[in-house]
Amino acid sequence: MNQNEFLAKVTPVQDRLYRLAKRLLVSEDEAQDATQEVLIKLWSNRKKIKKLRSVEAFAVTMTKNYCYDKLKAKSSSNLQLVHTNYEDQHYNTVKTSENSDSVNWVLKLMKDLPEQQRLVLHMRDVEQFTNSEIAQELDLNETAVRVTLSRARKTIREQLLKKHNYGLK
Amino acid sequence: MDLNKIENLLELYFEGETSLKQEAQLQEYFTSDEVAPHLVEYVPIFSAFAKAKETGFNRTLELPETKRSYKWIPVAASILLCVGLFLTYNQKQGSENDLGTYKDPEVAALKTKQALFMMGNFMNKSTGQLEKLETFEETANQIKK
Repeated sequence: MNQNEFLAKVTPVQDRLYRLAKRLLVSEDEAQDATQEVLIKLWSNRKKIKKLRSVEAFAVTMTKNYCYDKLKAKSSSNLQLVHTNYEDQHYNTVKTSENSDSVNWVLKLMKDLPEQQRLVLHMRDVEQFTNSEIAQELDLNETAVRVTLSRARKTIREQLLKKHNYGLK
Repeated sequence: MDLNKIENLLELYFEGETSLKQEAQLQEYFTSDEVAPHLVEYVPIFSAFAKAKETGFNRTLELPETKRSYKWIPVAASILLCVGLFLTYNQKQGSENDLGTYKDPEVAALKTKQALFMMGNFMNKSTGQLEKLETFEETANQIKK
């Protein structure tokens, strides 16, 4: 597999990998780093991926594991997650409508979900994976995926409605 | 789209029972401009998913040059060494069997003659030198007398 063939295979997947990494690592820079690492790893394993049926599933698993490793390393070495590119809410409210403010609020709520729920919700509602794909990826059964998904969606709804009604009740 | 249907789908959505296709319908409805007033509060959820989908990997990827693998070089070298050793060993064996003899008796006789003549020549040459010693002896005898 030469460089062009490899890029043709990987380009459709890389945005997905990046978004997945960002969902887990939060920081954009770290997510870019993670994606780059994973892609280079794929490149050095290109003989193996040639035989695979789906490069994407393999790459998603790699990204997920890489991010978990990163998160684990961080928590064990007492490093704080630095949100360098956390959007400044004050700055945002000035120039954007209330609607996009609530959109950012939903994104923030997603960040606060437990890891498993966050991942399932992301894979399903952002990336449109099927439940069976998610189940395979996360080593769960499909019922568990459905339950996790429902829980995540309900949490988002509750928190969002709570914010909407804040000050009214 | 029928409002009842949307409400139903939404209910199913939060139970995790919708199919991807139905979710796409919800997505479409909630990102359109005609959302019923009592459902407006759900808009941010679907807009957030749409927004989350917009970002992507924006670095140019630099793939490291592939290093040539040298793992076969030692194997080739050891094979060459073995072949070399085998050949030199064989050659030695060959030289032990080859005693420098001639199969044809006539040639053998000639060669022997040649060799003997050569030896004879050397002998004659060296004995020729000895003759000079006789002159020494003669002079020595004269003095003694």
